[in-house]
Order: sequence, then structure tokens, then C-alpha cells
Amino acid sequence: MKHKFLTIAFTLVLAANGTAADWTQFKGPNATGVSPEKNLPTEWSKEQGIKWKATLPSRGVSSPVVAGNRIYITCSSGTRDDRLHVLCFDAPTGKQLWHRQLQATGGTSCHPKSCMAANTPVADESGVYALFATGDLVAFDADGTLRWYRSLVGDYPTITNQVGMASSPILVGDRLIVPMDNSGESFIAAIDIKYGKNIWKTDRPQVINWTTPLVRKTDNTIEVLFAGPTGLTAYDAANGKQRWNFREGRGSIPTGVLEGDSLYLPVGGVSKFKLTNQGLIEKPEWSAATLRPGMPSPLVYAGKVFTADGDGIIACADARNGKLLYKERTKGAYSASPIGADGKVYFLNESGVCTVLDAKADTLEVLATNDLGDETLGTPAISDGVIFIRTSKALYAIGK
Amino acid sequence: MRHGHWVLITTLSGLLLITPARADDELRQALAVIKALKKEGRGNEDAGPAWKTVVSKGSAALLPTLEAFDDTNPIASNWLRPAIDVIVNAERSVGRKLPADQLEAFATNTKFAPSARRLAYELLIAQDPDAKARLLPGFLNDKSPDLRRDAIANELAILDKSAKPSIRADLEKLFAASRDQDQVELIAQKLKAHGVTVSVPEHFGFITQFALIGPFDGPEGKGLTTVHPPEMAKAATGQFKGKDNAEIKWITATTTDRYGTFDLNKLLGKHKNAVAYALAVVVAEKETPCEIRATSITSVKIFLNQKEIFARDEYHHGDPLDAHIGKGLLKKGENVIVLKVCQNDQKEPWAQDWKFKLRVCDDTGGPISGLTQLPPNGGPPIKLGYIPPGSETHEEEKK
Repeated sequence: MKHKFLTIAFTLVLAANGTAADWTQFKGPNATGVSPEKNLPTEWSKEQGIKWKATLPSRGVSSPVVAGNRIYITCSSGTRDDRLHVLCFDAPTGKQLWHRQLQATGGTSCHPKSCMAANTPVADESGVYALFATGDLVAFDADGTLRWYRSLVGDYPTITNQVGMASSPILVGDRLIVPMDNSGESFIAAIDIKYGKNIWKTDRPQVINWTTPLVRKTDNTIEVLFAGPTGLTAYDAANGKQRWNFREGRGSIPTGVLEGDSLYLPVGGVSKFKLTNQGLIEKPEWSAATLRPGMPSPLVYAGKVFTADGDGIIACADARNGKLLYKERTKGAYSASPIGADGKVYFLNESGVCTVLDAKADTLEVLATNDLGDETLGTPAISDGVIFIRTSKALYAIGK
Repeated sequence: MRHGHWVLITTLSGLLLITPARADDELRQALAVIKALKKEGRGNEDAGPAWKTVVSKGSAALLPTLEAFDDTNPIASNWLRPAIDVIVNAERSVGRKLPADQLEAFATNTKFAPSARRLAYELLIAQDPDAKARLLPGFLNDKSPDLRRDAIANELAILDKSAKPSIRADLEKLFAASRDQDQVELIAQKLKAHGVTVSVPEHFGFITQFALIGPFDGPEGKGLTTVHPPEMAKAATGQFKGKDNAEIKWITATTTDRYGTFDLNKLLGKHKNAVAYALAVVVAEKETPCEIRATSITSVKIFLNQKEIFARDEYHHGDPLDAHIGKGLLKKGENVIVLKVCQNDQKEPWAQDWKFKLRVCDDTGGPISGLTQLPPNGGPPIKLGYIPPGSETHEEEKK
């Protein structure tokens, strides 16, 4: 039975990652922030290099996601930030295909920088799954048909995080993995994507946490790796049982990067660990304390590790040994995670300025500095030669 | 003139909705399936097809779907909300207008769910912008916080452009209707500019005098669930063994803060892993539903007449006004309200606050008439929010 799940699930994991053009979840199809695409834009402004621009109804700090030529994005609005929006746009043209709204059922308190549209949705060819900071969870088919809705705060009333939740759900086959670390009833759950019912639900420490789970396949198991207050915990995706826990892998805001059997965690600066079928080798291959991921997750790209923080510091180290290559201050604070593609790294700061670096250079080589002139806290997405950036007011498609 | 128009609209609304849109059986059944949804997705298998049935009915389903909203059943309402989006978009995409008269009748009929009425109003004004000016005056005291807010903003904008002799009375009326903190403060300022002083703490119904006792022991992670005798107190009497076995007894405390803040660090001393209780006796002229709204950056429980009506176990993550809301029923006569406020042992400088605010209001956040408080030191009843004239302070401004 488990073997069957494993086979089907991992096939579906790959399927959920979609085509090369898709960017289906937080930090893209492989959750690395890396796209294999080429010929991506380097320079743009509000007026130039924009393929299309679509007005958004309100603010959001979640990322856009792309599946099957559709872009999905979430927003929240209202005096109480209690109106929740899911929108779908046609990726080639920017035409709004549909817009659905919900009323928040959970608390709407949060840090002023965040909002209720903070968790990045996850999409597949069939549709989109959106979790909001209010604990409202909804699945829409690609055409906007409501597949199901859950009020997680209605289900588990003690859920609370007055700083605002932001962990994003991920897909593992036919299961939606929902992280719900908070000050009340905390859990990680697998929810069936057809009807929205719990397949399993595993208790977690009642401590707030903003990281997003990762998924990996061992010889005989698909593991969901979730960093939180008590360490990095591996759960069996089939049944939610804990397989192992690495106490020193604690996480709270940035999410690590899984690249093959290497795991880069934002602990001790950034540390590189090796994974085996049985778990994780606890002694890191290296730790780079000089790398300081703030809210953004680190990026591993072109043999380098990149970080950005709230003081505008960009740092880069050699991924083989953690040796610092450069560390320099740029303008503005960063919340969005850097992304890498086409030999470039895109650092989007909070005020709409994207600094594009040459990923191959061992020194800070700025290729361009592009200003959209509006708040940008969500991580950009890359799909089909276009970079999608959401500001507080609009969704930009940058490219040709 | 506007008032007269409103009366007409309300009358028409009643007439129109005496015979609500007749939903066919299939639609009625589909809506019933959605309204029967339970927690944890129970019923989702049936609700999906039911949702498709609802939207397949097109504009005929618009009013019945709005009518099916129930703000006490938010799961169902959130299934219905996207159905409205689909129906409306389908109508607009083929250039058909929505049934304006029916939407207006629905929006103004207070028997329906406030959230659905707000939605109907938005659909209407998207199609007929003039409806805004026509309808908003009637929403000044609405149950929908958004309709009320827009109505107040609309009236303020009108007053700003006019020099009506009745401006003081008009502003006082708006002040009485206002619920959101920013609008309350704005109107209070405008009234002050016109020589009228109003009491913000009385408007919000803050309890400004409490009996306090503490610190009790609140073991790490268990402060909120550790029961101490004051939770079931009927009066602020007796003395108890507190933290570190110390003898503790009730004290009285009064705040002059405009937002009713009681700073436990100042009143009881700084303590870690500690629990304090605040007790107030509120007198109601008649049995009245109420909301007891607390503000605290640390874990709280609210008790009304020895019954727990709210609990939240969360420390140092923020203290927005009214973050903690307990719903209860005030009995005629004296009612004992007890607030339990815990402190954990976090060491960070930003995690040292141990304070609270508490107010008693109706379900819109507005004052309940005929409510008074018995001062803990004795003496005649006082209004909720009472602060002696000239002594009001503003803790938030001191930061």
C-alpha cells in the first residue's frame, strides 16, 4: 500500500512540478528559487521592458505562481484586512480570467509589513490551492470553479499568530501539505486535493514559524522536511509519522534549499548538510556565519550561495566550501527571496528595486538596477521567458 | 430629504422581499447541502456538485444564494461567496444587468446576513454608482461594520463640504454611530473643534476601575491552564497564596488612560511566569447580549459570571485593540467580569509588557445603554469608561 503511494506520489510530485515553463509554488517548481530558463530580461523600468501589467485589487506579500499558462495570485483587502482574494490571469496576455473572494474566518492581526495574503499559493495543471494567514484554505479549479474550502480556524479554533502567518503549502502528489505552526493548535497536515479532507494531521510545537516545507525522495519514502522551533523534522508523506529530527536545524523565517542530497539550512549563517536515505549527517560540511539570511531564503545557484537581509546586505559564498566571495550593502531592505536564472541573480528589495547580479562573477557585478517604484515583498516568479513581479498595486510581466 | 427617501426605500424593500425570489427545488437542495457543511471538510464531496448546481442556475440563483448567507456559518458563506462571483461575472460578460431593485431591497433588509447585504450593496453600486448616495445614509447604524464605516465616511465628507448650522448635532450623531477607532477619534477631534467634548472611553465602554490580584504562579507554558481561585470569584474578597507562597490580596486600581490601559508591571510589579486577575462588577438594567473585548499582548481568559467565555494562549505577538472577544449574556443586575492575564518568562526587552484593556459593548462594538459599573472601592455606580473630567491621559502617546 505504502509502496503504491510512493510510486504514484513521486510521479505526481514530478508532475506537480509541471513543465519547464511553470513556477508552481514558493520559490518555484523545485523550491530552489532557480529556473532553467534562458534569455531572461536584465533591464526594465515602469515604462520599459514590460510585457504587460495587470492591476491588483489590493496588497499581498505572497508570490505569484504559474501553472499551465495561468498565473495565480492572492491579495487581501478591507479596513480589517479580512477580504481574501484569489485571482487568475492568462500568462501570455495578462488578461484577468477570474477573481474569487472569501471572507476571513480567522484573526487578521499581523505585523504591519505583512498582511493576510502572505502565504504563497501552490498550483498544478488542475488549479490552485491558496492558504491565507487567517487559516482560510481554498482550492479552485483552473477555470475558477470552487473545488473545496476549509476554515482551519473554524476546525481548530485555538490557531493564532498575531504576527501573521506566512508558511506556504506545497503539493506532494495528490496531497496538499499544509504547515500550521502557530501559538495555538499547531500541526502539519496532508489534505486530499480532491475534497479537502485530512489524510493525516501531525501535531507540532505551539510556536509561531514562517518556514515552508521541502520534499525529498529517499529509496523507499517521500519525506516532508519542515524546519521549526524544535529542529528540522522529516515526516513520512504517506502517513505523517516523524522519521527523524535534527535539533540544530531549527527554523523560523527563511526556508532552506534542497539540491540533490545537499541541504543548505539558514542556521549558523548558512550551513551545508548531507542527506542520506536514513536522515541527515549532523556535522555540516561547512558553515558560513558571514552569510546572514534575514527574511529572504538563501539561494544556491551557479555554484554559489547568495543571501540578502533587512539591512540591504547581499552576500555570496562558494557553495563548495562556504568561503565568502563578497558581502556588500545595497539600497533598501529585502523581504523577497533572491532567484536565479540565465546566469543572473535577481534581488528584489522592498521598494520595487531589483538589483540584477552576474551569477558567475566572484565579485559583486551589478548588471542592472531596475525600479518599479512600488512596494515589493513577494518573491518573483519566472515562467516562459518572463519574470513576474507583484507589487502592492499590480502584477508585472517583465520580458518580451 | 434623504431621510424621506430612505423610508421609501425601506418600505419598498419590505414589499419586495415579502416574496423572495423563488428558488427551484434543485437550487434549494444545493444551497441546503452547502449550508449543512461541517468542520474538517465533512460534506465537501456533496458540496462540490452542489456548488456547480448553484452557479449553473445563473442569475436566478443570485438572490437565493445571497439569502443563504449566514454569518454564524462562515464555512457555508465562504462556499457561497465565490458562487456569487461566478454568477455575477457570467451576467456581466454577456452584458446583462443585475436585478438592481432586488439587490437594493436585499441590501436594505436587515433580516439578512450583514456580509451578504454588504455584498449586494457592492454589486449594486458597481452597476449604479448613484445608489451609493441614496443608500449610505441608511447604513449609519448598520450591523455590517463596512456598511456602517462607509456611511459614516460619506456623512463626514458631506459635512466637510457644508456649513450646516446643525453640524454639532450631526457630528454627535456620527460619533454615536462610529465604531472604528480611527473614525471615533476623527469625529471626536471635529467635535472638539466645534467646542463639544465627548468621551472616547465612555463611547468604547472601557472598564476604568478594577479590583486586581496577583501574582499567582503561572508555570512555564501552563499559566493559562493553571486554575486559581479568582477565576470563579463572585466578589473581590479573600486572600490567597500567590507566587512564591506569598500572601496576596485584592487591590483596587483606576486608570485615566483614554483606552483603559492597566499596566500590571506598575500595579503588581514585574513578574515572570505569573498570573493576575482583574475583576469588575457591571450592572445591567435588563438581560442583554454583550461582547467583552480585551486587549493584551499576553495570554488571557475572560470569565463572565464564573463562566469562561474566551481564552487565547499567545504571548508578545501584538496587541491590537479588541484582539480577544468573548460573547456572553449579561443578566439583569450585577454581573461579575474576571479577566485572567498571564505573563511568561521571555527575556527579550520587547517581551516585558504585562498589561490589558477591557471593554463591554454590543456586537457592533458600540455602547450598551443602561450599563454601569460598581466601583471596587464602593460608592455609587459609574458609567463605563468614566474618567474624572480633566484627568484623561493617553498611554499610547507616551511611547
